[in-house]
Formats: sequence, structure tokens, C-alpha cells
Amino acid sequence: MSKLSEQLLVGTSKPRPKPAYLVLEDGAAFAGTACGAPGEAFGEICFNTALEGYLEVITDPSYAGQIITMTYPQIGNYGVCVEDLQSREPALRGLVVRDLCTQPSNYRSDMSLPNYLKEHGIVAMEGVDTRALVRHVRDHGAQRAIISTLDTNVENLLLKVRDSASLVGQNLIPSVSRQMREAHPLSAEFAGFLEKPAATAHRVVAYDCGAKRAILDNLVRVGCEVVVVPWNTPAEDVLAQNPDGVFLSNGPGDPDAVQGTYSQVVKLLGKVPVFGICLGHQMICKACGADIEKLKFGHRGGNQPVMNLRTGRVEISVQNHGFGLVWPSLGPLIPNLSGGQTTHQQDLRYWVEHRVAPVVNNPVFGRIQLTHVNLNDGTPEGIALLDIPAFSVQYHPEAAPGSTDSHYLFTAFARLMEGREDYLDIDIAADRLAGWTFGTEADHA
Amino acid sequence: MPKREDIKSILVIGSGPIVIGQACEFDYSGAQACKVLKADGYRVILVNSNPATIMTDPGLADRTYVEPITAGFIKSVIEKERPDALLPTLGGQTGLNAAVELARQGVLDEYGVEMIGCDLAAIERGEDRKLFNDAMAEIGVETARSGYAHSLEEALCIVDDLGYPVVLRPSFTLGGAGGGIAHNREEFISIVTNGLELSPAHEVLVEESIEGWKEYEMEVMRDKAGNGIIICSIENFDPMGVHTGDSITVAPAQTLSDVEYQRMRVASLAVLEKIGVETGGSNVQFAVNPETGRMIIIEMNPRVSRSSALASKATGFPIAKFAAKLAVGYTLDEVMNDITKATPAAFEPSIDYCVVKVPRFAFEKFAGTDDTLTTRMKAVGEIMAIGRTFEESLGKAMRSLENGRAGLGADGVVLEGANDPQELEARIARPTADRIFYLAEGFRQGWSVEQAFQATKIDRFFLGRIADMVRVQENLRGMKLEQLDADALRLCKRYGMSDIQIAHLTGSTESMVRLCRKILHVVPAFKTVDTCAAEFPSSTAYHYKTYDADESEVAPKTRKRAMILGAGPNRIGQGIEFDYCCVHASYALADAGFETIMVNCNPETVSTDYDTSDKLYFEPLTFEDVMDIVDVEDPDGVVVTLGGQTPLKLAKALKEAGVHIMGTSPEAIDLAEDRDLFAAILDELHITYPAAGMAASYEQAVNVSKRIGFPLLVRPSYVLGGRGMAIVYNEGQLQKYMAEATKVSPDRPVYLDRFLEGAVELDLDALCDGTDVYVGGIMEHIEMAGIHSGDSACCTPPFAMSEANCESLRDIARKLAMRLGVVGLLNIQFAVKDQIIYVIEANPRASRTVPFVSKATGVPLAKVAARIMAGEKLADLKLPADDRHFEHFSVKEAVLPFGRFPGSDTILGPEMKSTGEVMGIASNFPAAFAKTQLAIDSSLPQEGTVFISVCDRDKRSFVPIARDLDRLGFHVVATAGTAKALIANGIDCEVVQKIHEGEPNILERIAAGEVTLIVNTPFGDRTRSDGYAIRSAAVRHGVCNQTTLAGAQALVAGIEVARRRGLQVVALQDLPQWEG
Repeated sequence: MSKLSEQLLVGTSKPRPKPAYLVLEDGAAFAGTACGAPGEAFGEICFNTALEGYLEVITDPSYAGQIITMTYPQIGNYGVCVEDLQSREPALRGLVVRDLCTQPSNYRSDMSLPNYLKEHGIVAMEGVDTRALVRHVRDHGAQRAIISTLDTNVENLLLKVRDSASLVGQNLIPSVSRQMREAHPLSAEFAGFLEKPAATAHRVVAYDCGAKRAILDNLVRVGCEVVVVPWNTPAEDVLAQNPDGVFLSNGPGDPDAVQGTYSQVVKLLGKVPVFGICLGHQMICKACGADIEKLKFGHRGGNQPVMNLRTGRVEISVQNHGFGLVWPSLGPLIPNLSGGQTTHQQDLRYWVEHRVAPVVNNPVFGRIQLTHVNLNDGTPEGIALLDIPAFSVQYHPEAAPGSTDSHYLFTAFARLMEGREDYLDIDIAADRLAGWTFGTEADHA
Repeated sequence: MPKREDIKSILVIGSGPIVIGQACEFDYSGAQACKVLKADGYRVILVNSNPATIMTDPGLADRTYVEPITAGFIKSVIEKERPDALLPTLGGQTGLNAAVELARQGVLDEYGVEMIGCDLAAIERGEDRKLFNDAMAEIGVETARSGYAHSLEEALCIVDDLGYPVVLRPSFTLGGAGGGIAHNREEFISIVTNGLELSPAHEVLVEESIEGWKEYEMEVMRDKAGNGIIICSIENFDPMGVHTGDSITVAPAQTLSDVEYQRMRVASLAVLEKIGVETGGSNVQFAVNPETGRMIIIEMNPRVSRSSALASKATGFPIAKFAAKLAVGYTLDEVMNDITKATPAAFEPSIDYCVVKVPRFAFEKFAGTDDTLTTRMKAVGEIMAIGRTFEESLGKAMRSLENGRAGLGADGVVLEGANDPQELEARIARPTADRIFYLAEGFRQGWSVEQAFQATKIDRFFLGRIADMVRVQENLRGMKLEQLDADALRLCKRYGMSDIQIAHLTGSTESMVRLCRKILHVVPAFKTVDTCAAEFPSSTAYHYKTYDADESEVAPKTRKRAMILGAGPNRIGQGIEFDYCCVHASYALADAGFETIMVNCNPETVSTDYDTSDKLYFEPLTFEDVMDIVDVEDPDGVVVTLGGQTPLKLAKALKEAGVHIMGTSPEAIDLAEDRDLFAAILDELHITYPAAGMAASYEQAVNVSKRIGFPLLVRPSYVLGGRGMAIVYNEGQLQKYMAEATKVSPDRPVYLDRFLEGAVELDLDALCDGTDVYVGGIMEHIEMAGIHSGDSACCTPPFAMSEANCESLRDIARKLAMRLGVVGLLNIQFAVKDQIIYVIEANPRASRTVPFVSKATGVPLAKVAARIMAGEKLADLKLPADDRHFEHFSVKEAVLPFGRFPGSDTILGPEMKSTGEVMGIASNFPAAFAKTQLAIDSSLPQEGTVFISVCDRDKRSFVPIARDLDRLGFHVVATAGTAKALIANGIDCEVVQKIHEGEPNILERIAAGEVTLIVNTPFGDRTRSDGYAIRSAAVRHGVCNQTTLAGAQALVAGIEVARRRGLQVVALQDLPQWEG
């Protein structure tokens, strides 16, 4: 920023801008101004396309180790509502936006986003042509990046970023998982928005690989008493608690590195109903011996269509993952349960067109059904084990932020624990308003 | 589920003429629907009375009926065409109402026509507040507390419970007509009384006021499998209390947290399901209390709407197109995203830019009316701007309006009353078209965001952004341009400033700023609207400009490029007709091998459909913005003559900047526009024109009047739609006019023409390629000279003009076109008086009548014009002879918006006031004229009382008309003078008092609904107060009102013909069409 630019900004909501730089390992550099904590941060650069809900993104523990850029340019407009936080501490490494709002406007707002970032030591920058950045990442892939408000020498920064550790093979989970077993009471009430939780009917143990608060709250809201345990808790300890179900949470990083969890899942499957979300889904897949691959383009945003092959309904899903299941690796197709098909299809949208939910024969756990497929790229999004009580989805039914179309999966988990065969067959439309309230003024007061 | 095979043919109902609240967005949606249904193999039958639409192009549907949108006419079409299905959701409220009527009358059942997309029950649940409120209560979504009243007494009971202020909404009126907010008993009684009259159901909803709350809209789509998606959320800048069509709106929603947004999302989807919208698009409106978050649903429309057109343009998701596909059975996952062409339509668009829509008003046309914005829509058009931030978009929006502003203030325009703190405060507090400029001025003068919030209830987020924009402007003020570095210039740009604003603030010129920017490499980038925030590659070139300029996304040039400049916002005098021409040019130039580039900022139009041209730039039509596009696109030619005055006024500057102007050269345009040059040419060609003069002062004007005599037609130079035009009969009026004419200066003189009272006016549209001239059509006006051509009805071929005269007109056109050097279109206006032909004016550009003439003659003039501009010759095109005989007559009639502007006079004059037009086609002139009246009023007066009050000039000529009315069974009532003439001629008639003669008078009879037809012709400079009151009453009570003798004559003839022979429906495809 030139001196003259600073003069032009006097008296605006952004006086005294300080320079900041983002440099990617392939040499791409972006200039901007600092808008969070001062400092230097390394991480994998990724983007999120959600239009609102930046706070839920920023505080999602799955973003541990990452520098996030939001595709929507103006971020922070409604400030920070403490109720919306997804974890106690943000786990991301840095934030890159086009414009960060210093004077938020919303009756729920507790503070401005720049102040929140500063308080939590998150390095952030604004003024970046984030669309150019996103297109670069899209075309050249996720990679290491550095964001700095201290060093303005791009050459230096490039050297530093090339020297930093890669995300691949890293287990970031210990940094975001709870260290101790603890109960999870409802953490945010959302009075006027959400109904009071259902009466407690099920006891659930949740593995915390970096669980979003909204997931645990959703479990509570469908009637679960939730006990959260560290990511590597032995299966025996869990089973000893005699739970009605086990939940496997989302989490950051490379699933192959999370043996501490999936090795326990092998011992849980078949003993107790299991439900997994995101990394939790990958843990079930790993337990079944499947391969996980790094996707060319991760899915991060709130607008991806997923079809439930059992009902033919499309859900607008919330996504945040860079790794995914290799569906054929779960086992060979069972033709009479797969519309007569004997060979795996390259593109899973084949099953969408034919409205068939194919089933494989898994050597470890028997029949596994492909329940959900991403309509954008034909990647697998959900599976159900047919011979034992377990199912999982790659995306985020808890939303936060984003569409709540897939909320029914929490209800499905409750039904699974009740032993219902048809646990997954829920009409989205019928479930749409479940849990929501459009209360009167009195409720809000 | 694939498309339905049990349906073969589909009837689509359009929205009729452009009126306030229902504009060309329905041409955009209807045209999309027709195209996609046809492409899917369905036989499409269309009914729409508006000729200026793309959807009524004969190629778009299989059978096109330019007929009135009434149950009667549509029934005739159904009888003839026997469609299997009716798609009612694409023609706005008009289309929906017509469909409802057809269903209720049993016509659909009788002919076995299935309503697709939305059934009668769903429409009723969506429209009827009682059913709607019950449905909302069942799903737990709150509505405002309210009650229905069918009388003033009932209404007063309800308001006793609710307390003031309350909102009043008459049932079943278009665009909220007749509604308002009452803050006290007096206002309440006035609005309720008016509303009960306006409502077809004589019903008014009385509702708790949520004025000042935040307002949101959700654009929703649903397929028959039950998949529901949100296309776009829109947040209103103006809080509740201003009709959403009159509000500045922003997409996506800016100040909702995720949980608030998701609550609105699920409610929207649940509402659609509850109302029973089987498939298609709907919009759902919400109000949110900014202090508590309490959310109330305001309404939902089970059809595509103005905001769905906006949402489509804002996101790149074509709602209407997909609504049509869903209606015939496809599901969202089966339809491909048009933009990415790789992902399905079952997704929610993610956008990475900010969209601002700003309405365009025309209060200056309706003196005497209150310009406060209320719950009743008054905007005549709108523009949309795309930028990466709200600041950038708003800045762009404020220079897109064609209102003489170069941005949000700081452009040298003086704001009236801004120096008086009290007046400034009042002007900030009261929502008006200019409020935002006063708001900016407030910040300039040191207002705080909080202060502005208390005065306006506009969200603090928006206020904060504007305060920053103004602060940066003020910090720049006084700096020198030479001082600025690249960083600083870029910052100004990112805060939405135009080159003109920077020039104004730094005491420089626009061209210097542009030069400086280029030297410092402060140039914009062009980004893409891609529905997915760059997550996937997109193949559609739908671009916008930004100073986030790390990367530009314009594809390199591979073949010759033609750029078409659009018409900007719809306003009175410049409407959909010009967009029609631009679209046709785009099609024709694409056929001629050009890569076509459209530039426009009007979201309602077909031209801004990314499908229309190879490339779309959604940008303001200013020199700066157009040149920035020229710089990256390097077009081989630019078309400026088809988009009306907006692009035309850029022609000279563009040419000077080295741009190749296609077709008629700017010099030739100047020849026609410069009065002296043009007069010299007319003299040279021995063509007669009315005596004329020019004056920069009252004294000069008097001298001119002495030379040429009264009456005079006076007008400011360089205007469109007759702005500020008047007829003066004596020196007193002339003095008054000169005193009131603003901005008169030697550079901007006033023109004075001898006014040819009683002359017959004619319009002529011609094509010229530099070698040959082809006359597309001659239109004979029905009203005598003195009424703006845009407001008068006309007929082609001429119904009374002799063939010899017509040949003379064609001859003059040939000479003029060649002499001026026209390459493309030329419009000439003539007046014929006492067998002398006068040329009133010539415009070497597309005129308002081009679409009408094209439909009437089967020769698409704009398309041919574009081909000529691209180098083709008329001789090679094999057009039908321009003096050929027609078996049918086509009448165009103007549609006037007086009902929206209470207090303004409804008299027609030289200043244009109409918003749109309808067309009637029949084998004779009266029948065609009758159709136009039916298209506007839905019924012809058939019986009852006709009230006649004509001026002295018309008394003798009116006798035969009155005799016809008498014979047709009307009861004739007249004021004393008129009655005397009628009685003397043996016509029975009752005498009523004039208004100033006391009560009882004609006003009560009108109010009582006894009068079905009024003929009231004013003349000369007589005081018009009586006539004014009568005409206002006519508008208020919806009584057919004729203010010209010629109009009355045509109407009476039409009534008679309709009664005697009935009115048959005609498909355009059955008329001769030129297949180029």
C-alpha cells in the first residue's frame, strides 16, 4: 500500500493497512493487507464456496493445518456469534479473503471477525483477488502455502514454504481431539431457531477426531446422550461402556495416518451400531479394508448435489474433504443386488442414471451398499453395511454451515439404534422442518 | 424421470404489455421456456398481446397468437389448436390470472387441457391470503397478524385490534396496486376505500406493520421428485415499507448468519411444498426483525417473477428455462447446468461477487404525483451491477441508471436542498428515487452510520459500506491526478469510483484519468459468472468487470467480433423494443459469422441472457465501461443504432477513440439530429417541414414565435420520449415554459416548431444499405398530431391514407435515407395536413416501432438491418415488395401507467408517458383496434352509460360517433355544451352538470360504476381542471376513457364490428413471413 492509499483510507473502517503476502509452493504470490493476528503461518491452501457461515468454516477442526480462502469476497459482515463456533479454538492456520468487515451488523453478533482472529492468533489477510487464487488452486491443485505479515520478500517466503512440512501422511488429529473422555451436553441452544432436544433415548460414544460441535449437538437433539472419547480410545474401553451406538467424527488430514482410530473400528463393527461422518466414514471404509485416495479437487462448500440411491432424492450437501473412498476396493459387485451388473463402473453416476444402489461383497463385513453418490463428479458419498448395523457418509449432515437437507441421517442413526431395518428410508421433505422452530417474538426474548 | 411423452402440445401464456410491476422479465422467461420446450420436441402455442417481445417472434413457437390475454381469446385459441397442456407460470400475474379464469370457467376441463407446473389449488393457496395464512400456520411459519375486510367498517374493527401503523393490501391486484401503509385513521380510511375499489374481489387485507424490518427474498426451484433448491437469496437495501420492485436489492444476502439463512431456506422449501407447487420456480419473501431475528413470511409467488429473472442473471442459473423443463417431467438431476455444462442443475449456485439491483423511476413524467416510495411499485425499469464487493457493485449501479449521474455522488451534480440540514434529514428519511444520493451527501457532511440508521432503518452494514465509499471520495477530493500512484488509483476504483468521479474530485478530465490509469497499468480484469465460484471450469463467456485484477478471464480472439450496445434500463421512451432490436442484431450477426458480444446492464431483458450472444458483458453503458471492454475484446465493429438513445450518445466518443461503428456513421446521425443541418438537407431535397426555430432565451423564443406563429411545439434539444415537450398556444404559456425549462443554455437551446393542429401523423420505418432503400412499413396514427408517437395508437398498413400519399412518403424516405447516408434503419415521422406532407423528424436508428412493423409485415427489420451493417445488400436479400398489398391490418396501442401515479394528469400530449404496447391483428382496422382495447382493458364497453364532453372543435365531428353509440344501445350523458349539439342533431341525451357547476355531477355517476365509457377531448389552452378530474376518476374506477376524437371513432367502430362479426384469432404463422 502506498502512502497515498493510506491517506485515502483515513476515516474509513480500515485505517492504517499493513501489507501481507500469500505465497504458494509453486511460486504464485498474492499481495494484500493484514487483517488478523500478525505473524507467519504455513498450511495447505484450500478454498470454501459457502456463501455464509464463514465462522463455522473457520472453527471447523477439520481445517487443521490449512489456510482457507473463502470464495465469497466479503466476509465477516455479520460478525462473530459465539453460539455458532464449532470448536473452542479455531484449528486452521490462516485465512485469506477479499474483504474483511470490521463493522459487522447482526443482532446476534458478539464481536467482529478481525477481532476474533486477532484474539485467537490466526494470521489473516484481505485485499486478495481470491477468485484468481481459487482458479490457481483449482488448476494446479492443493499445495503448501505461507501467509505472512512479517516478511514482504516473496523470494524469501517461497523458500520458507518449500521448506515446510506437507500435509500428506500427517496425522493432525492429536492436535484437535479431546484428550479426556467427557460428556457432551447441548452446547448451543439457538433459541428461536431450533427446538429443544428430544428426550434422551440412546447412549452414544463419539470418537473425537476433531468433531464439529454441531455434529455432537445434532446427536443430542435426536435424543442421544453423548460421551466424547479421544480419537484413539481402545474399542474394548468403548464396548465396556455398553453404548447403544458409536459415532465416528470428522477430522483433519490424511485418513491413512489415522490408524489409531480405524484399527479400533474394526473391533467395533458388528458389535454395536456405528455411524460415521467424513473422516468417520473413511474410518469405516478403512476398517473394511478399502483404499482411500486423494481427490484431484477436494469438495469444500455447501452446494454439492448428492443423490440418495435408495430414495432417488437429491440432497444439497455440505462438503469438506480432500480424500475419498475408492468404492471398488470394498469388494466385487453382487450382480443380483446391483441391477445385474457384474463389473464396477468407472463413473458412479451410472448408478444414478439407473437408479440402482449397488452392493458389493466385502471380505470382512459382508454386503455393503453404495447409498449416496456425488452428482458433480460421480464420487462415492455414502455406504451402508447390510449385514451389520453401520452406515456412513462422506459429507456433513450437520451442515454448519450450509444446507440441512441431510439432517435425516441423524434421525436414521437413532432408528438404526432402535434396530429398524428401514432406518435409512426417510423422506427429506418430511424431515425438512424437523428440529426447526419459527417461534414467536416471545420465544426470542 | 424423463420428459412426459403423453403431452404433445403446450400452450404458453405471456404477460402482455409492459406495465409497471410486469415488464420484459417475462419476455426473458417466456422466450426461454418456448425455446426449450420446442427444442424438446413439443408443439408450442403462444398467446401474448405484446409485439415488442422476442417470445412472439414467429420462429420461437409453432403457433404464435398476438391476441388479448383474456379467457375468451385464449379459449378461441384452445378451440383451434387443442393443446394437451397449459403452462401458466411463465407469464407473470397476467398469465397466471388468465389460467385461473380458464380453469374456473371449466374451459380447461372441457377441452382436456392439463395445467402443468402448478395447479389451480396451488395458485389459489399462494394468492389467497386466507388460504396462504392457514397453510403457513400448519407448517408453523409465522405470518404477520392480520384480518380481511370487505368494507370500511370491517377494516376499522380489525385495525382496532392491531393498532397503527398497519399495512393495507387489496387482494388480486398487480404489483401491489392500491396498497399502502396507514399511520393514522385518516390515511387508513383513504387507502382502504381506494383499495376496496381497486381489488377485483373488493377485499383488503389489514395487517400489522413490519415497516423498517429487513426484507429478504429466496428464489426456489422444485421438481416433481420433490428435490428443492435455492437459486439465490436477495437482501433488500431498503427496509420493509418499500415495494421490493422499488428497492435497491443485493444478492446474495449479506447480513444473515448461517443459522438464520438455513432457517429461511428450509422455510422456503417447506412453503413451496405446502402450497403445492409441483414443479418450477417460486419466490418467497420474508421480513426479519433486526432487533430480535423474528422472521415472518410476507408472500410467495408460485411462478417465475421479476426477482427470478434477476436471480437468473445474478447467478447464471436460468430459472425459467429449467422451470419449463421441470414442468414437462424432468428432474433437476437430469438437467445439465447450462454454464458449466458438466454438472447437473440440482445444486445451489455459489457466487463470488456481489450483485446490486437498482430500480429506475420516471416521476419526472408524472408531475403532481407523490414520489415517495411505498408498498405499491412505481419503478419503470431496473439495472443490475456486478462487482467483487458491494462497494464496487453499488458504484457501478449508480452510473448505470441513465439519469445523468456518474456514480454515487462526487460527479458535480448539485443536490437540491442538500445544504439545508433539516431538508437533508427529511430527504434521507423519506424513501425516494434519489434518497441514496442524499444519504451519501449526509455522510459527506459528517453523518454517522448510527444517525443514518435511525433515519432510514437501512442495515448498518450497507450504511457502513457507503460511508467508506464517501470517505474515500472525500479523501481524494483536492488531490491532483498527477500525484496519484497506481495503488491509490486502484483503491479508488475498488471503492466503486468512475473515471468521471475521479476527474471531478481531482479537477481533471475523464480522458486524462483514463490515460493516467493506462500509463500506470491500473486496468480492470474481467471475471466470469459461472454458478460455482470457480470451483469448476465454465464454458460460458458471461463476464463482469472488476479491479480485482490479478487475472482476467477473457478468451483470446479467434474470429471477427461484433459488439452490440444494449439499451440500458427500461424507462418511458426507451423500453423493450430496443432490446428486441439488439437481440435480433445479435442473432443476425452470429449468422453472418461474427462472434457476438452483448453489453447491457438491464437484468430484465433477453439481451442479457447469456444464451443470446456468444459473449455477454453485464456492464454499464458508459464510455469508460464500454471502452474497457473494447480494450480486451478488440471488436471489428460496434453496433450503436439499435439500443435507442443510450448507445447512440456514445457513438461519437467511441469513433473518436478509434472504434469502428457499424452501419450509419456518427456523422450521418449528427446530420439528422442537428436541426440546421437537417433543415438544409430537407431544403435541398425539396421536402416540406414545419416552420421552426431555436431559442436560448425567452426573448429569442418570442422572436421565433412572431416569425412562425402559434401554436408551437416546444422541447429541449437532445431528448428521448419527448421529455419536457409541450404545445404552447400564446406568449404567456411560452414565457412560463421558458422559465421552467431547466438547463436551457446556448449549448442546450429549446426547439420551437410550428404545431400542425389537426394533422394526421404517420411513422415510417425503412432500411438502407447505401444503394437501395426498403420501406418496412408505414403506420398511420389514430390520434391527431400533438400526441407523442409512442403514446398514440397506429395502424399498418394505413387505414385511411391514400396510396398516392403513401407512395410520396416512400419516395421521401428513399431520398432522405440516401442523402443522410443511412446504413441500417431509419425512422421518419410525417404529418399530413391539407394534403401537404411535412417531415417532422428523421432518426437514423432503430425506432420503437421496429418490432411492431416486423410482426405486422413478416419482415424482421432489425435482423435485416444488422445484416446490412455486416455488409450484405438489400438487392440480394429478396425482400417482398415494400408497396405490396396486405390482407390484414395491424394496430398498435399504447399502455399507460396513470393508475400508478395518482394525482398526475392522464391527458396525452407531446411528452411520452406509456410504458408498453399491445398489438391487434384483424382483417379490418376497427376489429384490430378493438382487439388492442381488449388487450389493455380485457373488455370492450358493450352497454350502459357513455359520458361525452368534447371541445368545441370536435362538436360537429362527434355527432356521427354519438349517433353510433346511441344506435348501439348506449345511454348518452353529456355536459350542457356537448348535449346541445347532440340534441340538435336528434340524439337522445341526458344533461349532467360540470364539476364546477356543483353537485350532483358526473363524478358521482362514475364512482357509482354506472359509466362504462367516457369520451372527453380537451383542446387548446382552455383550463383543464374539469377534464382532469373526470379523467382521474376514469383511471381510478377503471372506466374506458378516450381523450381523442379519432380514438373514440375507432373504438366505436371496433365495438360495432366485434358485435356484428365477432373477433377471430390469427396466428402469425398464417400471415406472410419472409424467410431470410
